[in-house]
Amino acid sequence: MKNKIIALALTFTTGALILAGCGSSASGASAGTSSSSGSKDAGTLNVFVWTEYVPQSVFDEFTKKTGIKVNVSTYSSNEDMLAKVKSETEGTYDIVQPSDYMVELMIGQDMLQKLDQTKLTNLSNIGESYLNPSYDPGNAYSVPYQGGVGAIAVNTAKVDLDIDSYDDLFDSALKNSLVVLDDYRAVIGMTARSMGYSMNETDTGKLSEISDKLMTLKDNVKLYDSDSPKSALIAGDCTAGFVWSAEIALAMEENPDIKVVYPSEGAYLFMDNWCVTKGAKNYDNAMTFINYMLDPDTAQMVSAEFPYLQPNQTAVEAMGSDYSDNEAKNPPAEAIAAGEYVQNLDPDVLSIYDDMWTKLKQ
Amino acid sequence: MTRAGKAKLMTGLGRFYTVLVYIFLFLPISVIVVNSMNATTSKPYLSWKGFTLSWYAKLWSNTELLSSFGNTMIIAIVSTLVSTAIGTLAAVGLYRYRFRGKDLINGLLYIPVVIPEIVFGISLLSMFAKMSIPRGMFTLILAHISFSVPFVVFNVRACLTNYDISVEEASMDLGANRVKTFFNVTFPMLMPGITGGALLAFTLSIDDVIISYFVNGQTKTYPLKVMESIKSGVSPDVNALSTLILLGTILFVILTQTNVLKKLVRKK
Amino acid sequence: MKKSKHEWKSNGLPALVTVGPVAVILVFLVVLPLMYVAVMSFCSIDSYYNVVYKFTLRNYAQLADPDYIHIYLQSILIALLTTVICVLVAYPFAYLIARTKSRNKNLLYMLVIIPFWTNSLIRIYGWRTFLGTNGWLNNALIKLHMISEPLDMLFNRGTTVLGMVYCLIPFMVLPLYSSFEKLDVNLLEASADLGATKLKTLKEIIIPLTADGIFSGCIMIFIPCLGYFFVSDILGGGNADVIGNLIERQFQSGNNWPLGSALSIILIIITLLLVKAYQKIGGSMESLAL
Repeated sequence: MKNKIIALALTFTTGALILAGCGSSASGASAGTSSSSGSKDAGTLNVFVWTEYVPQSVFDEFTKKTGIKVNVSTYSSNEDMLAKVKSETEGTYDIVQPSDYMVELMIGQDMLQKLDQTKLTNLSNIGESYLNPSYDPGNAYSVPYQGGVGAIAVNTAKVDLDIDSYDDLFDSALKNSLVVLDDYRAVIGMTARSMGYSMNETDTGKLSEISDKLMTLKDNVKLYDSDSPKSALIAGDCTAGFVWSAEIALAMEENPDIKVVYPSEGAYLFMDNWCVTKGAKNYDNAMTFINYMLDPDTAQMVSAEFPYLQPNQTAVEAMGSDYSDNEAKNPPAEAIAAGEYVQNLDPDVLSIYDDMWTKLKQ
Repeated sequence: MTRAGKAKLMTGLGRFYTVLVYIFLFLPISVIVVNSMNATTSKPYLSWKGFTLSWYAKLWSNTELLSSFGNTMIIAIVSTLVSTAIGTLAAVGLYRYRFRGKDLINGLLYIPVVIPEIVFGISLLSMFAKMSIPRGMFTLILAHISFSVPFVVFNVRACLTNYDISVEEASMDLGANRVKTFFNVTFPMLMPGITGGALLAFTLSIDDVIISYFVNGQTKTYPLKVMESIKSGVSPDVNALSTLILLGTILFVILTQTNVLKKLVRKK
Repeated sequence: MKKSKHEWKSNGLPALVTVGPVAVILVFLVVLPLMYVAVMSFCSIDSYYNVVYKFTLRNYAQLADPDYIHIYLQSILIALLTTVICVLVAYPFAYLIARTKSRNKNLLYMLVIIPFWTNSLIRIYGWRTFLGTNGWLNNALIKLHMISEPLDMLFNRGTTVLGMVYCLIPFMVLPLYSSFEKLDVNLLEASADLGATKLKTLKEIIIPLTADGIFSGCIMIFIPCLGYFFVSDILGGGNADVIGNLIERQFQSGNNWPLGSALSIILIIITLLLVKAYQKIGGSMESLAL
């Protein structure tokens, strides 16, 4: 009996090895064609990006153009990214994609390298208003990729309630029907906004109130998902949610009953950026990549698959009304003006946030 | 109801219950297989859009998925070989020799067996990080070896309890040295334990999620690639690969169980 | 003179060669990492999430908070439910297939193992596809006019327990199968001859003889259950966190390794208590590894 199992395992292994051999030879073949189009072995690039944010076709196109092999890893939140980058040896990842406040934190922690702006010839494509942000003056360490809003998605066919604010998400009519981001700054910040407070509240009295209100959200939340919240909306498992704006845009394409709502209190805003880590092993390839990402054609490829707020002005003009008229892809100016970005906070304050989050998720 | 009737009812109920449990075990499998033939092209790949086998073709161009499977195989084979070797030696040594620290080592062997995988995973991560060992294939293999070795030791040890050492002594009396005795006498007698332990080590390694999750660095193993796919919606080519692996397993079970192979060989 | 069953030799070199490698692995990959985790549990972090090596009890103080205790209890509840369900489902099943007189007994045994040769994550995801609002079960039930609105089955504690049971039930089936195989038919016949009803035979003979199969299965289900964060992530949707989720969060997005270490120590303590209890009932440690 045992011998038969061993025979099974051995033959299975042999078959698997053949399979693996096919896999590596396939990747070898594709690398072969790309390096023949390039000149010599152009090296590799280790990229660490948000899930559901950069199309694979963009990486494939880059490899085809330059011969550089791209290793892609993904994360679901800024904090996840920070944890991995800190715990890995320096330079494990060449490129990361932090949001606004995370760029500031990483600069302060000496985790980023200055960008060689002479290599970023495509930088002029970025709209003026997106350059020189407060978290990174002069774009010394970062260039914008895409941004957006933590907006509200509503399946109007399934939800009777008229939702127009974050506060409405706490209504008991939405019991066990929401999908929200698995991101403590976003959700706690959203709760704070619903009460008229700041997303970056530090006052302990107000935080206590926010905590109480946050607990009332518990019954309404069915799913925490930062990776692909559109799945739950499209599949009908959740009928409303507090999710990334492009996820809503994509959900709307699959199900026209789903609508986007920008909260009256002012929404959670974010802008994600390309940065190069300290000790990155492939700095030159990283600069080539970032410049490639700033190209308007690349930007259009990105918007086609993950339509967030696009800072690449040239690309926006090329995309026309398809992008600019779509409220989910291109958040209205009033929503942006009323919104608020996440800021870094003291660890003592953050531990209060952390406790709130643990309490919510039990 | 007659005695015979009652017995028949019990047998019938028993059969029914067994079938129910098998259905429970195979339900997700059927979902995987059916979805591998789903003609859907858009995320999250959940609704049924028609029947197609094209994903089995598209699978071969998904180099990341295939190489992750290759990684898993390499890690499993290497870690199984190493842990079987180390574990067998250790089992024999612990059984035969008396030395200081023996009880301690015996006790320590239980830790990887009993401890929750997540604790094991984070402790390895912490140590690798502190010692600035870059995480990747190397750390994965080390981790897999460390959780497999105790299982090998215990399996081999189970064989040793019935072991008659006089055979070894006879061998040495006849002129074989210790090493030769080990390979020609001891080793074959321990085979069932060794293969049992090796099989267990291999199985634990190919499906390891939690420990690999913490010590993999950038290296993708097959379970971790599946975990990544789940986050964005599992595309049918992942299902296709799983189905192929499953078919391979079933094929060999059939071959070994129903003597088909033997008949084929006999015919020649 | 009859030779004793085994002779002890206290040679240094053979001992070193055979046991040396495993000792190295145990020390460097098991003991030292765990000791480091224990040390970290008494540390804290600074504003840049770096570990500060100064003795403090703040992590343990934080973890004694009622909210955390609630999660420990929830984890234990989920683990307990999973274990009990596994025993109830696996016991008759293992008995039936172990004692079947069918010619296909080996095949039946393999049919139990085959599903577990498929990746566990994708099987858990299969449950998500099956139980979703637009999933197979709901669509089938609606088509058959058995329900008018889809049932809400996903992303709660119940589905998490289902997922845990599904993942861990082989750890109950396989030991019980061995126990049942070793069961001497003569004992059962003797019991029946002496006038015992089937129920009494079950209670007085079968269960005690298979007890160590049950106990080792329970330990091998309960303990992993506390740490299986991916099941509660995929099927629980974040609503049914177990201790494993807490630890994972602190080592990932929480960026607080000392707190995560303290949580791990607490989990280790719970594990040790369970193992002690298991040993007290008479469980054998060796059977856990086979």
